[in-house]
Amino acid sequence: MKDQTKQFRRQFRSALLLGSLTAAAVWMTACGSREVKQEPEVAAEDGPFGAYQETLRCGMGRSTIANPKFPEGDTYEDNAYTRYLKNRLNVQIVDDFEANGADYDRQVSLSIAAGQLPDVLKIGSKDLLDELVENDLVADLTDAYETYASDYVKEIYDSYDGRCLDLATYDGRLMAIPGTNLDSAPSVTYIRQDWLEKTGLSIDPEGDKCITVDELELIAKTFLEQDPGGSGNPVGIAYVPYLTVDDYGSSGFALNAVASVFGAFPKVWLADENGQVFYGSTAPEMKEALGKAAEWFQEGILDPQFGTRTWDDITALLTNGQTGIAFGPWHIPDWLLNNVRGMNPEARFAAYAIADEEGKVHVTHSNASNGYMVVRKGYSNPEVLVKMVNLYFDEMVNSKTLAQDQPEVAEYIQQGVDGTARPISLEINAYTSLLDDYSDIRRCVNGEITLDEVRTSESKSVVASVNNYLADPDGAEVTDWAKYTSRMEGIDLIERLTTEEQFAWETPAFWGVTETMKTNNASLGTLEEESFVAIVTGARSLDAFDDFVAAWNEQGGSQITQEVQEAVDGKEN
Amino acid sequence: MVTKKGLRGNLGRVVIYLIVLLLGLICLLPLLNILALSFSSSDAAAANIVGFWPVKFTVAAYRKILEDGQFWRSFLISVARVAIQLALNLVLIVLMAYPLSKSEREFKGRNIYMNLLIFAMLFSGGMIPSYLVVRNLGLINTIWALVLPGAVPIFSVIMVMNFFIGVPKSLAEAAIIDGATPLQVLTKVYIPCSKPVIATIALFSIVGSWNDFFGGLIYMTKVANYPLQTYIQTLSVRLEDILNSGGSLTTLVNAMEVSKQNLNAAKIVVSVIPLLLIYPILQKYLITGIVMGSVKE
Repeated sequence: MKDQTKQFRRQFRSALLLGSLTAAAVWMTACGSREVKQEPEVAAEDGPFGAYQETLRCGMGRSTIANPKFPEGDTYEDNAYTRYLKNRLNVQIVDDFEANGADYDRQVSLSIAAGQLPDVLKIGSKDLLDELVENDLVADLTDAYETYASDYVKEIYDSYDGRCLDLATYDGRLMAIPGTNLDSAPSVTYIRQDWLEKTGLSIDPEGDKCITVDELELIAKTFLEQDPGGSGNPVGIAYVPYLTVDDYGSSGFALNAVASVFGAFPKVWLADENGQVFYGSTAPEMKEALGKAAEWFQEGILDPQFGTRTWDDITALLTNGQTGIAFGPWHIPDWLLNNVRGMNPEARFAAYAIADEEGKVHVTHSNASNGYMVVRKGYSNPEVLVKMVNLYFDEMVNSKTLAQDQPEVAEYIQQGVDGTARPISLEINAYTSLLDDYSDIRRCVNGEITLDEVRTSESKSVVASVNNYLADPDGAEVTDWAKYTSRMEGIDLIERLTTEEQFAWETPAFWGVTETMKTNNASLGTLEEESFVAIVTGARSLDAFDDFVAAWNEQGGSQITQEVQEAVDGKEN
Repeated sequence: MVTKKGLRGNLGRVVIYLIVLLLGLICLLPLLNILALSFSSSDAAAANIVGFWPVKFTVAAYRKILEDGQFWRSFLISVARVAIQLALNLVLIVLMAYPLSKSEREFKGRNIYMNLLIFAMLFSGGMIPSYLVVRNLGLINTIWALVLPGAVPIFSVIMVMNFFIGVPKSLAEAAIIDGATPLQVLTKVYIPCSKPVIATIALFSIVGSWNDFFGGLIYMTKVANYPLQTYIQTLSVRLEDILNSGGSLTTLVNAMEVSKQNLNAAKIVVSVIPLLLIYPILQKYLITGIVMGSVKE
């Protein structure tokens, strides 16, 4: 979070290092060609929630965060969720290791090198899963899923039309339980509503919450001229130096929202009508999008310090009132814009989508999976992973009597103890759950349904916050304000665009990692980033985009395109 | 003429002081900024408007640290680690440097040992082999995994050895004539003469083991066993990591809560206090050696 660009570079480098480390580790283990012995199974009762007759020991790798919010005395290894598992299924969790973020990936590599994989572990990246499967280190979960997954869990995965499970399926066998990732498009444009009112700007008279690129330009110009924040040094639109991202979740301060109007989808792999795959950043539409950004830079609408202004710097611009326009996923009010409200108690944000002349908002589907859980090959009871998923994503979510049966767990949810405390630290939600939950919240706030009818406890707490905010919009707590803004503005926009059918969806063709990507992605990423910054700032002309495309192809891009094409064609056959 | 020369001398001195002052400020100002940040409100810190004086003064960050059990657990682990490492380093370095400071004539095979040491200094085993050794010795999750891999820092051995070589031989000879045993020569002659270098390597050892976070990261598999710097390192959250690892919105919000700049600043302030206390104590030994004038050649 500190310095996004530097981190991005560092991440590239460390990802590269970690990647080669992991590859070496997997290779070493595979060459040892230890015969994997299947351990004797521990007997259990039948069914998706069948408890084990003797305590089943399950060693795990746990991905943690620094602020899990445990009540005093509880730990990752021993908390309400693990006790729930012990009581219900007679499974004892033992943590082989716990670590945060990139450190977790390092621990995974080390455990592979030592030939001591935990029984069940979470892995973040698709290419590590590829490696583990290729080297036959993880158990086949096909039968376990078929036999033990509860109907509700199967429904969740079915809501993705197989797009989610596909990413964990190799030669027709399910080798991991993937986390789900629902579509969170679009990249929302949050604009200071109080500034719009102050400047008397009449934007979006139709009230459809969609603005065109020209309207965005007008807003930025007006904010620049009138300086409603009174900072004395206003900035129009600020972008991070890496400019574009491949996922809506990380689209904070990125060009993606504007680029999509031109039909450009940077950093994702798409297929044209003939089935030819291409990389979004090299498409001609991207040139148009960069052209627009370069024009803005020329006119001073785009931050004159673009290229050196980091993520934190842009957060600072927003917080101290220099700029009032922020792009990002719908939830940025919860963790980013809350600083703005903290500093400026009068601040209010409205959510807009950037649409084309026909009022269409162009978006892509997200990668349907995010993170995987695997079982070590040879582990006595691979189905325990599926049973855990049933427990945490079916019973715990759907039980009407959770507060009576598992008061501790209900208390955890109430207190906001972090989700990483669950032995399964993935999110497994139905494809429509974002809008389903929001419809509960909206109807409850409007008095159409009672609080008891609201399905999840998370939604219940949002309803309480929204009501708190509405009772006193000027003096509300920042967290109430944040929840109000992210839901009643952010998700409300998504709901509106969905019901009005204003989304124009594209489906990316490929999400995996090919051989050449592993070796060349870091340098290709740098090439892309540097070329785009040079074009936008005018250091190079717009036509240099064609040189960039040529260089990209030459430095491995065409090889990657070919590999992606083969992978996509292979899947269809 | 004389006044002119004096003036020029003064001018030179003023320029030198200015340069030194500037260098001093370059070192001091970032610390002042961190200190000011730690006493500012989190939104003021995010707004990047804190200079050298707190904005919207609050001690909320420090209050939060006081409540953070893991911070203090890690703090104690770090203190214990520094103490054990320091004792171990001083004993092993001195015992190793002393024989190596003798010539090949007095200590047969000295050059072989020396070359082995230099080889080990230049080429290390790498991360995975080191990890496997530590793991197979059963040291994972014990404080010894943090201490033993760095028990004999060869660079420090060579420093001390060179210092011992510089101690006049006549001093040792005089002691031997007075009937001192080899151990007495070391403890009564060499060590007292070598306080500056010993203070220096002690400082290296303390600063090195206090600041090291990587050892904790790979040899400790539970956050509860993390030394302080490893723990602090985990608090600086990379947004991408959370977004890419299937984390939920609550995870994101929780993580952002601890990566607030004022909180991080307060943690840095608390974590540098021990080092700030140790410097002045060691500094008096660093200034000069006391060999000068002890021998007439």
